[in-house]
Amino acid sequence: MNRREFFKISWGTVGLAALVSGVGVSLAAVVRFLMPSVFYEPPQSFKIGEPGDFPFGPPTFLVAEKIFVFRDREKGFAVASAVCTHLGCTVAHFSSDQRFHCPCHGSVFAADGSVQHGPAPRALDWFEVTMARDGKLLVNKDKVVPPNYRLMV
Amino acid sequence: MNLIREIWQSIVRRDPLSTDKGKSELVFLNVWLHIHPAKVKKENMKFRHTFYLGFITFFLFLILLTTGIALMVYYRPYPPQAYQDMKDLQFAVFMGTFLRNMHRWAAHGMVICVFLHMCRVFYTGSYKKPRQFNWVIGVLLLLLTLSLSFTGYLLPWDQLAYWAITVGTNIGSYAPLIGGQLRELLLGGHSVGEGALIRFYVLHVAVLPAAMILLTIVHFWRVRKDGGLSRPVWKLKGKKEELVTIGAPAVAVPMQASAASKDKTYGLMEVVSGKPIFETVTPEEEEDTVFSYPYAFVREAVVLMATVTTVMTMSLFLNAPLEELANPAKTPNPAKAPWYFLGLQELVSHSAFLGGVVAPALMVLALLAIPYLDRNPSRRPRDRKLILWLFTIFVVANLALIVIGTFFRGPGWAMVPPWVHVVGGAE
Repeated sequence: MNRREFFKISWGTVGLAALVSGVGVSLAAVVRFLMPSVFYEPPQSFKIGEPGDFPFGPPTFLVAEKIFVFRDREKGFAVASAVCTHLGCTVAHFSSDQRFHCPCHGSVFAADGSVQHGPAPRALDWFEVTMARDGKLLVNKDKVVPPNYRLMV
Repeated sequence: MNLIREIWQSIVRRDPLSTDKGKSELVFLNVWLHIHPAKVKKENMKFRHTFYLGFITFFLFLILLTTGIALMVYYRPYPPQAYQDMKDLQFAVFMGTFLRNMHRWAAHGMVICVFLHMCRVFYTGSYKKPRQFNWVIGVLLLLLTLSLSFTGYLLPWDQLAYWAITVGTNIGSYAPLIGGQLRELLLGGHSVGEGALIRFYVLHVAVLPAAMILLTIVHFWRVRKDGGLSRPVWKLKGKKEELVTIGAPAVAVPMQASAASKDKTYGLMEVVSGKPIFETVTPEEEEDTVFSYPYAFVREAVVLMATVTTVMTMSLFLNAPLEELANPAKTPNPAKAPWYFLGLQELVSHSAFLGGVVAPALMVLALLAIPYLDRNPSRRPRDRKLILWLFTIFVVANLALIVIGTFFRGPGWAMVPPWVHVVGGAE
Protein backbone atom coordinates (compact mmCIF):
# COMPACT_ATOMS: atom_id res chain seq x y z
CA MET A 1 0.00 0.00 0.00
CA ASN A 2 1.45 3.35 -0.95
CA ARG A 3 0.87 6.67 0.71
CA ARG A 4 -1.94 7.69 -1.65
CA GLU A 5 -3.90 4.48 -1.11
CA PHE A 6 -3.41 4.68 2.63
CA PHE A 7 -4.92 8.15 2.80
CA LYS A 8 -7.73 7.21 0.42
CA ILE A 9 -8.79 4.28 2.61
CA SER A 10 -8.32 5.98 5.97
CA TRP A 11 -10.10 9.18 4.97
CA GLY A 12 -12.79 7.12 3.32
CA THR A 13 -13.33 5.14 6.52
CA VAL A 14 -13.39 8.26 8.67
CA GLY A 15 -15.81 9.95 6.29
CA LEU A 16 -18.14 6.95 6.14
CA ALA A 17 -18.09 6.56 9.93
CA ALA A 18 -18.91 10.25 10.34
CA LEU A 19 -21.79 9.99 7.85
CA VAL A 20 -23.28 6.84 9.39
CA SER A 21 -23.02 8.12 12.96
CA GLY A 22 -24.41 11.52 11.95
CA VAL A 23 -27.42 10.00 10.22
CA GLY A 24 -27.89 7.49 13.04
CA VAL A 25 -27.84 10.12 15.77
CA SER A 26 -30.19 12.34 13.77
CA LEU A 27 -32.68 9.51 13.25
CA ALA A 28 -32.56 8.59 16.94
CA ALA A 29 -33.14 12.26 17.79
CA VAL A 30 -36.15 12.38 15.46
CA VAL A 31 -37.69 9.30 17.08
CA ARG A 32 -37.02 10.73 20.54
CA PHE A 33 -38.55 14.04 19.45
CA LEU A 34 -41.72 12.22 18.43
CA MET A 35 -42.01 10.58 21.86
CA PRO A 36 -43.63 13.13 24.20
CA SER A 37 -41.64 13.94 27.34
CA VAL A 38 -44.74 14.88 29.29
CA PHE A 39 -48.08 13.12 29.03
CA TYR A 40 -51.08 15.27 29.86
CA GLU A 41 -53.19 12.24 30.57
CA PRO A 42 -55.45 11.24 33.45
CA PRO A 43 -53.47 9.59 36.29
CA GLN A 44 -53.35 5.80 36.51
CA SER A 45 -54.17 5.99 40.21
CA PHE A 46 -57.40 7.75 41.18
CA LYS A 47 -60.22 7.88 43.75
CA ILE A 48 -63.62 6.66 42.64
CA GLY A 49 -65.75 7.68 45.66
CA GLU A 50 -67.12 6.43 48.96
CA PRO A 51 -67.90 2.72 49.36
CA GLY A 52 -71.53 3.64 49.91
CA ASP A 53 -71.74 5.12 46.39
CA PHE A 54 -71.68 1.64 44.91
CA PRO A 55 -74.68 -0.69 45.01
CA PHE A 56 -74.57 -4.42 45.58
CA GLY A 57 -75.36 -6.65 42.65
CA PRO A 58 -74.53 -5.74 39.03
CA PRO A 59 -71.22 -3.88 38.60
CA THR A 60 -71.02 -0.11 38.25
CA PHE A 61 -69.41 1.00 34.95
CA LEU A 62 -67.22 4.11 35.24
CA VAL A 63 -67.16 5.71 31.79
CA ALA A 64 -64.02 7.87 31.88
CA GLU A 65 -61.92 5.31 33.77
CA LYS A 66 -63.19 2.34 31.72
CA ILE A 67 -63.56 0.08 34.77
CA PHE A 68 -66.24 -2.07 36.34
CA VAL A 69 -66.64 -1.79 40.12
CA PHE A 70 -68.05 -4.94 41.68
CA ARG A 71 -69.46 -4.92 45.20
CA ASP A 72 -70.41 -8.17 46.86
CA ARG A 73 -72.10 -8.43 50.26
CA GLU A 74 -69.78 -11.17 51.52
CA LYS A 75 -66.60 -10.68 49.52
CA GLY A 76 -66.26 -6.90 49.15
CA PHE A 77 -64.93 -4.70 46.36
CA ALA A 78 -63.18 -5.69 43.12
CA VAL A 79 -62.33 -3.58 40.06
CA ALA A 80 -62.12 -5.05 36.54
CA SER A 81 -60.78 -3.41 33.40
CA ALA A 82 -63.37 -2.78 30.68
CA VAL A 83 -60.72 -2.76 27.95
CA CYS A 84 -60.70 -5.88 25.79
CA THR A 85 -57.26 -7.49 25.73
CA HIS A 86 -57.57 -8.20 22.00
CA LEU A 87 -57.67 -4.79 20.35
CA GLY A 88 -58.84 -2.39 23.05
CA CYS A 89 -62.59 -2.09 22.48
CA THR A 90 -64.77 -1.49 25.54
CA VAL A 91 -66.46 -4.68 26.76
CA ALA A 92 -69.99 -4.75 28.15
CA HIS A 93 -71.05 -6.75 31.23
CA PHE A 94 -74.24 -8.71 30.66
CA SER A 95 -76.11 -9.37 33.89
CA SER A 96 -78.07 -12.10 32.08
CA ASP A 97 -75.10 -14.45 31.86
CA GLN A 98 -72.64 -12.70 34.25
CA ARG A 99 -70.05 -12.44 31.46
CA PHE A 100 -68.18 -9.71 29.58
CA HIS A 101 -68.84 -9.40 25.84
CA CYS A 102 -66.65 -7.48 23.38
CA PRO A 103 -68.57 -5.96 20.43
CA CYS A 104 -65.60 -5.66 18.08
CA HIS A 105 -64.53 -9.25 17.44
CA GLY A 106 -66.81 -11.29 19.65
CA SER A 107 -64.51 -12.14 22.58
CA VAL A 108 -66.37 -13.36 25.68
CA PHE A 109 -64.89 -13.28 29.18
CA ALA A 110 -66.15 -15.25 32.18
CA ALA A 111 -67.17 -13.64 35.46
CA ASP A 112 -63.55 -13.92 36.69
CA GLY A 113 -62.28 -12.26 33.49
CA SER A 114 -60.84 -15.39 31.87
CA VAL A 115 -61.27 -15.84 28.11
CA GLN A 116 -64.12 -18.18 27.17
CA HIS A 117 -64.53 -17.42 23.49
CA GLY A 118 -63.06 -15.36 20.66
CA PRO A 119 -59.66 -13.96 19.71
CA ALA A 120 -58.71 -12.29 23.04
CA PRO A 121 -55.19 -13.48 23.95
CA ARG A 122 -55.50 -13.15 27.76
CA ALA A 123 -57.92 -12.51 30.59
CA LEU A 124 -59.29 -9.09 31.53
CA ASP A 125 -57.16 -7.21 34.06
CA TRP A 126 -58.24 -6.74 37.67
CA PHE A 127 -56.87 -3.64 39.38
CA GLU A 128 -55.85 -3.06 42.96
CA VAL A 129 -58.45 -1.19 44.98
CA THR A 130 -57.59 0.15 48.44
CA MET A 131 -59.09 2.49 51.00
CA ALA A 132 -57.55 5.95 51.03
CA ARG A 133 -57.11 7.89 54.28
CA ASP A 134 -60.16 10.03 53.58
CA GLY A 135 -62.32 6.89 53.38
CA LYS A 136 -62.59 6.89 49.59
CA LEU A 137 -61.83 3.95 47.35
CA LEU A 138 -58.49 4.27 45.52
CA VAL A 139 -57.95 2.37 42.26
CA ASN A 140 -54.45 1.84 40.88
CA LYS A 141 -54.43 0.76 37.23
CA ASP A 142 -50.66 0.17 37.36
CA LYS A 143 -51.15 -2.67 39.86
CA VAL A 144 -52.77 -5.72 38.31
CA VAL A 145 -54.04 -8.18 40.90
CA PRO A 146 -55.37 -11.77 40.76
CA PRO A 147 -59.12 -12.14 40.01
CA ASN A 148 -59.82 -13.30 43.56
CA TYR A 149 -58.45 -10.06 45.06
CA ARG A 150 -61.09 -8.34 47.18
CA LEU A 151 -61.21 -5.31 49.44
CA MET A 152 -63.42 -5.79 52.50
CA VAL A 153 -64.92 -2.61 53.86
CA MET B 1 -51.18 45.08 -30.01
CA ASN B 2 -47.51 44.42 -30.52
CA LEU B 3 -46.92 44.44 -26.79
CA ILE B 4 -49.67 41.88 -26.21
CA ARG B 5 -48.22 39.66 -28.90
CA GLU B 6 -44.78 40.05 -27.40
CA ILE B 7 -46.05 39.06 -23.96
CA TRP B 8 -47.90 36.06 -25.39
CA GLN B 9 -44.84 34.93 -27.31
CA SER B 10 -42.68 35.30 -24.23
CA ILE B 11 -44.97 32.83 -22.47
CA VAL B 12 -45.68 30.43 -25.34
CA ARG B 13 -42.47 29.98 -27.24
CA ARG B 14 -43.42 27.11 -29.51
CA ASP B 15 -44.22 27.19 -33.21
CA PRO B 16 -47.90 27.21 -34.24
CA LEU B 17 -49.76 23.95 -33.55
CA SER B 18 -50.55 23.60 -37.24
CA THR B 19 -46.96 22.45 -37.74
CA ASP B 20 -45.41 19.17 -36.61
CA LYS B 21 -42.61 21.10 -34.94
CA GLY B 22 -45.16 23.09 -32.98
CA LYS B 23 -46.94 19.93 -31.87
CA SER B 24 -43.66 18.48 -30.64
CA GLU B 25 -42.58 21.67 -28.93
CA LEU B 26 -45.91 21.92 -27.14
CA VAL B 27 -44.87 18.76 -25.31
CA PHE B 28 -41.17 19.06 -24.73
CA LEU B 29 -40.96 22.80 -24.10
CA ASN B 30 -43.63 22.55 -21.42
CA VAL B 31 -42.60 21.51 -17.94
CA TRP B 32 -46.01 19.94 -17.18
CA LEU B 33 -46.51 18.11 -20.46
CA HIS B 34 -43.02 16.84 -21.12
CA ILE B 35 -43.59 13.69 -19.08
CA HIS B 36 -45.35 12.67 -22.31
CA PRO B 37 -43.41 11.71 -25.40
CA ALA B 38 -43.98 14.02 -28.38
CA LYS B 39 -45.41 11.07 -30.26
CA VAL B 40 -47.21 8.05 -28.84
CA LYS B 41 -47.93 4.66 -30.30
CA LYS B 42 -51.50 4.25 -31.44
CA GLU B 43 -51.70 0.91 -29.64
CA ASN B 44 -50.86 2.54 -26.30
CA MET B 45 -53.97 4.68 -26.42
CA LYS B 46 -56.47 1.83 -26.88
CA PHE B 47 -58.95 1.90 -24.01
CA ARG B 48 -59.14 -1.87 -23.64
CA HIS B 49 -55.39 -2.21 -23.13
CA THR B 50 -55.21 -0.33 -19.85
CA PHE B 51 -58.76 0.90 -19.16
CA TYR B 52 -56.91 4.14 -18.30
CA LEU B 53 -56.88 2.94 -14.68
CA GLY B 54 -53.59 4.64 -13.87
CA PHE B 55 -54.89 7.92 -15.23
CA ILE B 56 -58.18 7.58 -13.36
CA THR B 57 -56.27 6.90 -10.13
CA PHE B 58 -54.09 9.95 -10.67
CA PHE B 59 -57.09 12.16 -11.47
CA LEU B 60 -58.86 10.93 -8.33
CA PHE B 61 -55.74 11.88 -6.38
CA LEU B 62 -55.92 15.38 -7.89
CA ILE B 63 -59.57 15.63 -6.78
CA LEU B 64 -58.50 14.51 -3.30
CA LEU B 65 -55.74 17.12 -3.13
CA THR B 66 -57.99 19.99 -4.16
CA THR B 67 -61.05 19.05 -2.08
CA GLY B 68 -58.75 18.16 0.83
CA ILE B 69 -57.18 21.61 0.85
CA ALA B 70 -60.65 23.14 0.75
CA LEU B 71 -61.80 21.03 3.72
CA MET B 72 -58.72 22.03 5.74
CA VAL B 73 -60.01 25.60 5.84
CA TYR B 74 -62.91 24.57 8.09
CA TYR B 75 -61.27 21.80 10.10
CA ARG B 76 -59.63 22.00 13.53
CA PRO B 77 -57.74 18.81 14.43
CA TYR B 78 -58.73 18.88 18.09
CA PRO B 79 -61.46 16.91 19.86
CA PRO B 80 -64.33 17.61 20.13
CA GLN B 81 -64.10 20.64 17.77
CA ALA B 82 -63.14 18.29 14.96
CA TYR B 83 -66.59 16.73 15.16
CA GLN B 84 -68.33 20.11 15.40
CA ASP B 85 -66.50 21.16 12.24
CA MET B 86 -67.88 18.09 10.47
CA LYS B 87 -71.37 19.16 11.48
CA ASP B 88 -70.57 22.68 10.29
CA LEU B 89 -69.43 21.31 6.95
CA GLN B 90 -72.65 19.33 6.73
CA PHE B 91 -75.10 22.05 7.66
CA ALA B 92 -73.53 25.50 7.67
CA VAL B 93 -70.70 25.76 5.16
CA PHE B 94 -71.70 26.54 1.58
CA MET B 95 -71.08 23.36 -0.49
CA GLY B 96 -69.48 21.78 2.59
CA THR B 97 -71.41 18.52 2.28
CA PHE B 98 -70.69 18.37 -1.43
CA LEU B 99 -66.94 18.85 -0.97
CA ARG B 100 -66.77 16.31 1.84
CA ASN B 101 -68.75 13.85 -0.30
CA MET B 102 -66.36 14.39 -3.21
CA HIS B 103 -63.39 13.80 -0.94
CA ARG B 104 -64.90 10.61 0.46
CA TRP B 105 -66.07 9.08 -2.81
CA ALA B 106 -62.85 9.97 -4.63
CA ALA B 107 -60.95 8.24 -1.81
CA HIS B 108 -63.05 5.09 -2.13
CA GLY B 109 -62.65 5.25 -5.92
CA MET B 110 -58.90 5.56 -5.55
CA VAL B 111 -58.68 2.42 -3.41
CA ILE B 112 -60.67 0.53 -6.07
CA CYS B 113 -58.74 1.93 -9.04
CA VAL B 114 -55.28 1.39 -7.51
CA PHE B 115 -56.25 -2.22 -6.91
CA LEU B 116 -57.70 -2.72 -10.41
CA HIS B 117 -54.65 -1.01 -11.92
CA MET B 118 -52.42 -3.45 -10.05
CA CYS B 119 -54.49 -6.35 -11.41
CA ARG B 120 -54.23 -5.03 -14.97
CA VAL B 121 -50.45 -4.66 -14.69
CA PHE B 122 -50.19 -8.15 -13.26
CA TYR B 123 -52.39 -9.90 -15.81
CA THR B 124 -50.57 -8.27 -18.75
CA GLY B 125 -47.20 -9.20 -17.24
CA SER B 126 -46.16 -5.57 -17.38
CA TYR B 127 -44.03 -5.81 -14.25
CA LYS B 128 -41.38 -7.79 -16.08
CA LYS B 129 -37.90 -6.61 -16.94
CA PRO B 130 -37.03 -3.71 -17.00
CA ARG B 131 -40.14 -2.60 -15.10
CA GLN B 132 -39.62 -4.67 -11.93
CA PHE B 133 -38.83 -1.79 -9.65
CA ASN B 134 -41.74 0.27 -10.92
CA TRP B 135 -44.03 -2.53 -9.71
CA VAL B 136 -42.40 -2.17 -6.27
CA ILE B 137 -43.10 1.57 -6.33
CA GLY B 138 -46.66 0.75 -7.35
CA VAL B 139 -47.10 -1.51 -4.32
CA LEU B 140 -45.77 1.29 -2.09
CA LEU B 141 -48.30 3.65 -3.69
CA LEU B 142 -51.06 1.14 -2.88
CA LEU B 143 -49.91 1.07 0.76
CA LEU B 144 -49.81 4.87 0.85
CA THR B 145 -53.35 4.98 -0.56
CA LEU B 146 -54.56 2.68 2.21
CA SER B 147 -52.65 4.67 4.87
CA LEU B 148 -54.18 7.89 3.60
CA SER B 149 -57.63 6.30 3.78
CA PHE B 150 -56.98 5.08 7.32
CA THR B 151 -55.62 8.40 8.63
CA GLY B 152 -58.40 10.19 6.76
CA TYR B 153 -61.42 8.50 8.24
CA LEU B 154 -60.09 9.16 11.75
CA LEU B 155 -60.29 12.92 11.34
CA PRO B 156 -64.10 13.40 11.76
CA TRP B 157 -63.70 12.19 15.37
CA ASP B 158 -66.94 10.25 15.27
CA GLN B 159 -67.47 6.78 16.68
CA LEU B 160 -65.97 5.12 13.59
CA ALA B 161 -62.87 7.32 13.89
CA TYR B 162 -62.31 6.72 17.58
CA TRP B 163 -62.69 2.96 17.47
CA ALA B 164 -60.71 2.65 14.25
CA ILE B 165 -57.72 4.39 15.89
CA THR B 166 -58.14 2.23 18.98
CA VAL B 167 -58.26 -1.02 17.03
CA GLY B 168 -55.74 0.03 14.37
CA THR B 169 -53.03 1.15 16.79
CA ASN B 170 -53.63 -1.91 18.96
CA ILE B 171 -52.98 -4.10 15.91
CA GLY B 172 -49.69 -2.20 15.58
CA SER B 173 -48.84 -3.02 19.19
CA TYR B 174 -48.80 -6.74 18.32
CA ALA B 175 -45.77 -6.15 16.06
CA PRO B 176 -42.78 -7.94 17.57
CA LEU B 177 -40.18 -5.98 19.58
CA ILE B 178 -41.26 -2.46 18.65
CA GLY B 179 -45.03 -2.93 19.00
CA GLY B 180 -45.55 -1.03 22.26
CA GLN B 181 -43.35 1.91 21.26
CA LEU B 182 -44.94 2.00 17.83
CA ARG B 183 -48.36 2.50 19.35
CA GLU B 184 -47.07 5.18 21.71
CA LEU B 185 -45.35 6.91 18.79
CA LEU B 186 -48.55 6.93 16.73
CA LEU B 187 -50.80 8.02 19.58
CA GLY B 188 -48.40 10.45 21.22
CA GLY B 189 -49.56 8.93 24.50
CA HIS B 190 -50.98 5.80 26.05
CA SER B 191 -54.59 6.22 25.05
CA VAL B 192 -56.49 7.65 22.11
CA GLY B 193 -56.96 11.39 22.58
CA GLU B 194 -56.03 14.79 21.22
CA GLY B 195 -52.37 13.81 20.82
CA ALA B 196 -53.40 10.98 18.51
CA LEU B 197 -55.72 13.16 16.42
CA ILE B 198 -53.08 15.80 15.66
CA ARG B 199 -50.56 13.12 14.74
CA PHE B 200 -52.91 11.42 12.32
CA TYR B 201 -53.81 14.83 10.92
CA VAL B 202 -50.16 15.66 10.22
CA LEU B 203 -49.73 12.28 8.55
CA HIS B 204 -52.88 12.75 6.50
CA VAL B 205 -52.35 16.30 5.22
CA ALA B 206 -48.56 16.54 5.01
CA VAL B 207 -46.38 13.45 5.39
CA LEU B 208 -48.33 10.88 3.39
CA PRO B 209 -49.42 13.17 0.51
CA ALA B 210 -45.81 14.35 0.14
CA ALA B 211 -44.61 10.75 -0.04
CA MET B 212 -47.40 10.00 -2.49
CA ILE B 213 -46.45 12.88 -4.79
CA LEU B 214 -42.75 11.99 -4.76
CA LEU B 215 -43.36 8.32 -5.52
CA THR B 216 -45.94 9.16 -8.19
CA ILE B 217 -43.36 11.29 -10.00
CA VAL B 218 -40.87 8.40 -9.97
CA HIS B 219 -43.62 5.98 -11.05
CA PHE B 220 -44.57 8.10 -14.07
CA TRP B 221 -40.98 8.86 -15.01
CA ARG B 222 -40.13 5.19 -15.12
CA VAL B 223 -43.19 4.35 -17.24
CA ARG B 224 -42.05 7.01 -19.69
CA LYS B 225 -38.43 5.82 -19.72
CA ASP B 226 -39.52 2.20 -20.21
CA GLY B 227 -41.39 3.04 -23.38
CA GLY B 228 -44.75 4.28 -22.19
CA LEU B 229 -47.74 2.19 -21.29
CA SER B 230 -47.10 -1.48 -21.86
CA ARG B 231 -49.11 -3.11 -24.61
CA PRO B 232 -50.54 -6.61 -24.63
CA VAL B 233 -48.04 -8.90 -26.32
CA TRP B 234 -50.61 -10.37 -28.67
CA LYS B 235 -51.10 -6.95 -30.24
CA LEU B 236 -47.49 -6.73 -31.35
CA LYS B 237 -46.85 -8.09 -34.78
CA GLY B 238 -43.63 -8.66 -36.61
CA LYS B 239 -41.31 -8.08 -33.68
CA LYS B 240 -39.93 -10.37 -31.04
CA GLU B 241 -42.73 -9.97 -28.57
CA GLU B 242 -40.74 -10.21 -25.36
CA LEU B 243 -38.37 -7.47 -26.33
CA VAL B 244 -40.76 -4.90 -27.61
CA THR B 245 -42.17 -3.32 -24.52
CA ILE B 246 -39.65 -4.60 -22.10
CA GLY B 247 -36.64 -2.95 -23.49
CA ALA B 248 -33.07 -4.00 -23.79
CA PRO B 249 -31.72 -6.28 -26.48
CA ALA B 250 -30.44 -9.54 -25.02
CA VAL B 251 -26.89 -8.88 -26.14
CA ALA B 252 -25.17 -5.55 -26.24
CA VAL B 253 -25.19 -4.12 -29.70
CA PRO B 254 -23.96 -0.69 -30.63
CA MET B 255 -26.71 1.84 -31.02
CA GLN B 256 -27.83 2.09 -34.60
CA ALA B 257 -28.21 5.51 -36.05
CA SER B 258 -31.45 5.59 -37.99
CA ALA B 259 -31.68 7.65 -41.10
CA ALA B 260 -33.04 11.08 -40.43
CA SER B 261 -35.98 12.02 -42.56
CA LYS B 262 -35.65 15.45 -44.04
CA ASP B 263 -38.68 16.97 -42.37
CA LYS B 264 -37.43 16.29 -38.84
CA THR B 265 -34.98 18.07 -36.64
CA TYR B 266 -32.65 16.14 -34.39
CA GLY B 267 -30.61 17.57 -31.58
CA LEU B 268 -27.59 15.42 -30.89
CA MET B 269 -26.85 15.74 -27.18
CA GLU B 270 -24.02 13.33 -26.57
CA VAL B 271 -22.80 10.01 -27.86
CA VAL B 272 -22.17 7.35 -25.26
CA SER B 273 -21.43 3.70 -25.74
CA GLY B 274 -23.68 1.01 -24.34
CA LYS B 275 -27.21 -0.12 -24.89
CA PRO B 276 -30.38 1.71 -23.98
CA ILE B 277 -32.26 0.08 -21.14
CA PHE B 278 -35.51 1.57 -22.30
CA GLU B 279 -37.53 1.08 -25.41
CA THR B 280 -36.63 3.15 -28.42
CA VAL B 281 -38.85 3.78 -31.38
CA THR B 282 -37.41 2.16 -34.47
CA PRO B 283 -38.03 3.60 -37.95
CA GLU B 284 -40.54 0.88 -38.86
CA GLU B 285 -42.48 1.51 -35.64
CA GLU B 286 -42.49 5.22 -36.37
CA GLU B 287 -45.43 4.68 -38.73
CA ASP B 288 -47.60 3.42 -35.87
CA THR B 289 -47.19 6.62 -33.87
CA VAL B 290 -49.20 9.81 -33.74
CA PHE B 291 -48.51 13.16 -32.12
CA SER B 292 -49.45 13.35 -28.44
CA TYR B 293 -51.18 16.59 -29.32
CA PRO B 294 -54.04 16.22 -29.86
CA TYR B 295 -54.57 12.44 -29.82
CA ALA B 296 -53.26 11.47 -26.36
CA PHE B 297 -54.18 14.76 -24.69
CA VAL B 298 -57.78 14.65 -25.85
CA ARG B 299 -58.16 11.11 -24.52
CA GLU B 300 -56.66 12.07 -21.19
CA ALA B 301 -58.91 15.10 -20.99
CA VAL B 302 -61.95 12.90 -21.66
CA VAL B 303 -60.90 10.51 -18.89
CA LEU B 304 -60.29 13.43 -16.53
CA MET B 305 -63.71 14.92 -17.24
CA ALA B 306 -65.42 11.54 -16.92
CA THR B 307 -63.71 10.96 -13.57
CA VAL B 308 -64.62 14.39 -12.19
CA THR B 309 -68.18 14.11 -13.49
CA THR B 310 -68.67 10.69 -11.94
CA VAL B 311 -67.38 11.81 -8.54
CA MET B 312 -69.48 14.99 -8.66
CA THR B 313 -72.63 13.11 -9.64
CA MET B 314 -72.14 10.59 -6.84
CA SER B 315 -71.53 13.44 -4.39
CA LEU B 316 -74.85 15.06 -5.33
CA PHE B 317 -76.86 11.99 -4.42
CA LEU B 318 -74.85 10.05 -1.83
CA ASN B 319 -73.77 11.58 1.46
CA ALA B 320 -70.54 10.57 3.18
CA PRO B 321 -71.41 8.82 6.44
CA LEU B 322 -70.83 10.52 9.78
CA GLU B 323 -71.53 8.65 12.99
CA GLU B 324 -72.19 10.17 16.39
CA LEU B 325 -69.50 11.93 18.41
CA ALA B 326 -66.66 9.69 19.59
CA ASN B 327 -67.59 8.03 22.87
CA PRO B 328 -64.76 6.15 24.60
CA ALA B 329 -67.23 4.44 26.91
CA LYS B 330 -69.39 2.83 24.27
CA THR B 331 -68.06 0.71 21.44
CA PRO B 332 -70.64 0.46 18.63
CA ASN B 333 -71.88 -3.07 18.08
CA PRO B 334 -70.77 -4.26 15.62
CA ALA B 335 -67.85 -1.82 15.22
CA LYS B 336 -66.98 -2.09 11.55
CA ALA B 337 -64.15 -0.46 9.63
CA PRO B 338 -64.80 0.90 6.08
CA TRP B 339 -65.31 -1.89 3.56
CA TYR B 340 -61.72 -2.00 2.27
CA PHE B 341 -60.44 -2.85 5.76
CA LEU B 342 -63.12 -5.41 6.60
CA GLY B 343 -60.97 -8.22 5.17
CA LEU B 344 -58.29 -7.25 7.67
CA GLN B 345 -60.86 -6.97 10.44
CA GLU B 346 -62.10 -10.47 9.58
CA LEU B 347 -58.51 -11.72 9.85
CA VAL B 348 -57.86 -10.08 13.25
CA SER B 349 -61.13 -11.49 14.56
CA HIS B 350 -59.40 -14.88 14.42
CA SER B 351 -55.98 -13.82 15.71
CA ALA B 352 -54.61 -10.33 16.26
CA PHE B 353 -50.99 -11.37 15.73
CA LEU B 354 -51.41 -13.83 12.86
CA GLY B 355 -54.24 -11.97 11.15
CA GLY B 356 -53.21 -8.42 11.94
CA VAL B 357 -49.43 -8.56 11.66
CA VAL B 358 -48.16 -11.78 10.05
CA ALA B 359 -50.71 -12.21 7.24
CA PRO B 360 -50.66 -8.58 6.02
CA ALA B 361 -46.84 -8.47 6.23
CA LEU B 362 -46.59 -11.67 4.18
CA MET B 363 -49.07 -10.35 1.62
CA VAL B 364 -47.12 -7.12 1.17
CA LEU B 365 -43.79 -8.97 0.96
CA ALA B 366 -45.25 -11.36 -1.63
CA LEU B 367 -46.53 -8.45 -3.73
CA LEU B 368 -43.17 -6.66 -3.52
CA ALA B 369 -41.27 -9.82 -4.48
CA ILE B 370 -43.43 -10.83 -7.47
CA PRO B 371 -41.22 -9.31 -10.22
CA TYR B 372 -38.09 -10.84 -8.71
CA LEU B 373 -39.52 -14.30 -8.02
CA ASP B 374 -41.25 -14.63 -11.38
CA ARG B 375 -38.28 -15.52 -13.62
CA ASN B 376 -40.48 -16.42 -16.58
CA PRO B 377 -39.65 -13.91 -19.36
CA SER B 378 -42.84 -14.53 -21.33
CA ARG B 379 -45.78 -12.19 -21.05
CA ARG B 380 -48.21 -14.44 -22.90
CA PRO B 381 -51.00 -15.75 -20.63
CA ARG B 382 -50.66 -19.28 -21.99
CA ASP B 383 -47.06 -19.41 -20.70
CA ARG B 384 -47.98 -18.04 -17.27
CA LYS B 385 -50.86 -20.25 -16.19
CA LEU B 386 -49.57 -21.09 -12.69
CA ILE B 387 -48.80 -17.55 -11.60
CA LEU B 388 -52.03 -16.22 -13.07
CA TRP B 389 -53.93 -18.78 -11.00
CA LEU B 390 -51.99 -17.89 -7.85
CA PHE B 391 -52.66 -14.19 -8.27
CA THR B 392 -56.33 -14.82 -9.02
CA ILE B 393 -56.62 -16.85 -5.81
CA PHE B 394 -54.96 -13.97 -3.93
CA VAL B 395 -57.46 -11.48 -5.38
CA VAL B 396 -60.49 -13.71 -4.79
CA ALA B 397 -59.41 -14.52 -1.21
CA ASN B 398 -59.09 -10.82 -0.40
CA LEU B 399 -62.47 -10.06 -1.93
CA ALA B 400 -64.05 -13.01 -0.11
CA LEU B 401 -62.74 -11.79 3.25
CA ILE B 402 -64.17 -8.33 2.52
CA VAL B 403 -67.53 -9.81 1.54
CA ILE B 404 -67.65 -11.94 4.72
CA GLY B 405 -66.70 -8.96 6.90
CA THR B 406 -69.20 -6.68 5.18
CA PHE B 407 -72.27 -8.87 4.77
CA PHE B 408 -71.89 -11.88 7.05
CA ARG B 409 -70.85 -10.33 10.36
CA GLY B 410 -73.36 -9.00 12.83
CA PRO B 411 -73.35 -7.85 16.47
CA GLY B 412 -70.44 -9.25 18.45
CA TRP B 413 -68.84 -10.16 15.09
CA ALA B 414 -71.08 -13.25 15.05
CA MET B 415 -71.78 -14.96 11.74
CA VAL B 416 -75.10 -13.52 10.57
CA PRO B 417 -76.12 -14.07 6.93
CA PRO B 418 -77.30 -10.89 5.19
CA TRP B 419 -80.83 -12.24 4.70
CA VAL B 420 -81.35 -12.53 8.47
CA HIS B 421 -82.58 -9.34 10.09
CA VAL B 422 -81.16 -8.70 13.55
CA VAL B 423 -83.46 -6.68 15.76
CA GLY B 424 -81.48 -4.59 18.21
CA GLY B 425 -77.97 -5.34 19.41
CA ALA B 426 -76.77 -8.21 21.54
CA GLU B 427 -77.43 -6.26 24.71
